[in-house]
Amino acid sequence: MSLIKDLTKGIYHENPVFKLVLGMCPFLAVTTSVENALGMGAAATFVLICSNFLVSLFRNIIPSKVRIPCYIVIIATFVTLVDMVMNAYLPDLHRSLGIFIPLIVVNCIILGRAEGFANRNPVLNSIADAIGMGIGFTLAMVVLASFRELLGNGTWLNFNILGSAYQNQPLLIAILAPGAFILLSFILGFSNILEQRKGGRQ
Amino acid sequence: MNSAVLLSTLLATPDSGSPGFDLGKMMAIIIASIFVNNFVLARFLGICPFLGVSKQLDSAIGMGAAVIFVMTLATLGSWTVYNLLLVPMGLTYLSTIAFILIIASLVQLVEMILQKYSPALYSALGIFLPLITTNCAILGVAVLNIDEKYSLGYSLVNAIAAGIGFTLALILMAGLRQKLELADVPPAMKGKPVAFLVAGIMSIAFLGFAGLGG
Amino acid sequence: MAEMLKVGLILMLVTLVAAMALGLVNSRTAPIIAIQKELAKQKAMTEVSASLSPGDSLAFDSLSVAGLENPYASCDNTLSVVRISVPPDTSRIGYVFIAYGKGYSSTVQTMVAVELDGSISNTTILYQQETPGLGANIVIPSKLIEKFYGLTASEFLLTKDGGGIDAMTGCTITSRTVTNSIRNGLEVMSEAGLFSSVEDSADDTSEPAAEGGTE
Repeated sequence: MSLIKDLTKGIYHENPVFKLVLGMCPFLAVTTSVENALGMGAAATFVLICSNFLVSLFRNIIPSKVRIPCYIVIIATFVTLVDMVMNAYLPDLHRSLGIFIPLIVVNCIILGRAEGFANRNPVLNSIADAIGMGIGFTLAMVVLASFRELLGNGTWLNFNILGSAYQNQPLLIAILAPGAFILLSFILGFSNILEQRKGGRQ
Repeated sequence: MNSAVLLSTLLATPDSGSPGFDLGKMMAIIIASIFVNNFVLARFLGICPFLGVSKQLDSAIGMGAAVIFVMTLATLGSWTVYNLLLVPMGLTYLSTIAFILIIASLVQLVEMILQKYSPALYSALGIFLPLITTNCAILGVAVLNIDEKYSLGYSLVNAIAAGIGFTLALILMAGLRQKLELADVPPAMKGKPVAFLVAGIMSIAFLGFAGLGG
Repeated sequence: MAEMLKVGLILMLVTLVAAMALGLVNSRTAPIIAIQKELAKQKAMTEVSASLSPGDSLAFDSLSVAGLENPYASCDNTLSVVRISVPPDTSRIGYVFIAYGKGYSSTVQTMVAVELDGSISNTTILYQQETPGLGANIVIPSKLIEKFYGLTASEFLLTKDGGGIDAMTGCTITSRTVTNSIRNGLEVMSEAGLFSSVEDSADDTSEPAAEGGTE
């Protein structure tokens, strides 16, 4: 039962982006297209699962004094692994994610889950937590990326949705840097309104 | 390697072999890193401290100073390790792991040195230092310098400029947020949402700098 | 002291295991990455040079022309030019080179096929990380690079810089870097004597001297 709870909490109640406001840098940077969001989400989820697994497995062996450096090494190892595998088998995606692949290392969600959850929970729960957080992060990115790609380019996952007439005069700002900030601001505000409604009813 | 050769290798661009500085290029790097490709508002690096430490002007200045300081040292360390150790040994695939370890140990070292020798500076910067390890702007500038194949000189210039760009965005944001405290913000937008909205409007302003390059 | 030693050893062990694991994976992926890159380059080269002599299978020889004054550090000072010929006849029919230019947020790499007289036959963008929706549209040929075809070095200037090529709307920087990087490359090749006027291209015995030699 607690396994399911650990799995699902990351998707809504403790969504790393909308509720905890973590991992903002890749979240804002790679959401120019849904494809990039999915790629980054998959990479981050993989690293999250692997690091949570190892940290939880060795949680009684790693001395607490050097635990943060150890976590960083573990995370950096898996990030480099993803980097190399993606470069070999998905070169186009690797190219468009660019510098944000090595930067998964400093994604606060991953270190945060290692330190805040895997550090003191059994292996299975830690993996469930990682999967939930990974899905939550990916979903959040897809939501923002959908708005940005649709408004800024008229497409969704590279499918032309709004037609070529729209594509000639799209709302370009959505896909540029300011659009990421402004749309995220509205999404957060909207989720606050939902939360208040729910709170009011109880 | 004698010192003259070492110096010229350090100043040279790794692959062009031409030593020394080009003032025009240096200015281009500085303007690009501070304004056109501002680390926070255009490249989305260092968002967490940008939001977390921008509530007060004083702490924003402290954080900015700490970031500039660590960024410069980290660039010095990462550039040296990459070009004089990892490249000759064919271990460039270890760069991510090496950089993050350099940054983490550097932050730790700076913290210890400051604590011992400069308690005044430590009390000003101390609380920000642990946060810097996970500031992606630091790792970002190290990786970007390698990607762009900058020489050590240009790398340091780029690091300092990036740090100034970060500080500029942080201080502007802190100033705005202090005013925002007094403003009548709709309850749903209070806190983070309105901060992102302000960042978005600042980002539009910085978009205007794009014209500087041409 | 013993405590510190133990902690240090554990940290070293973790790093060592990590480095070894990465070394292992790297030994598997590095060759694949190299092959992928080479294949992608070959594919681009075949596609871009097909315009020089449609329908023929072409042969490629690398030349290396020194002396490209590149204002940016992101590429070396030699221009890699590939000589195109139709086997078994070894006389050249054109060249392919890659132009590098610093754009708004990336170094844009353009592969260019050039006729013997120095006019552009075909171009394709190999790499760019420009702003999506703006500079990134450079990959759509009709936006800019189609306007290059048939032009020579002297005509390679944006309207804003006194030439005749209209930049993409809203992205002068990307347009300018691509245009100027191609012009630079053409000028270097012209100085190295690679181009001949159309009349004497039949006389192919005097192969122009290019530094670096052929492979």
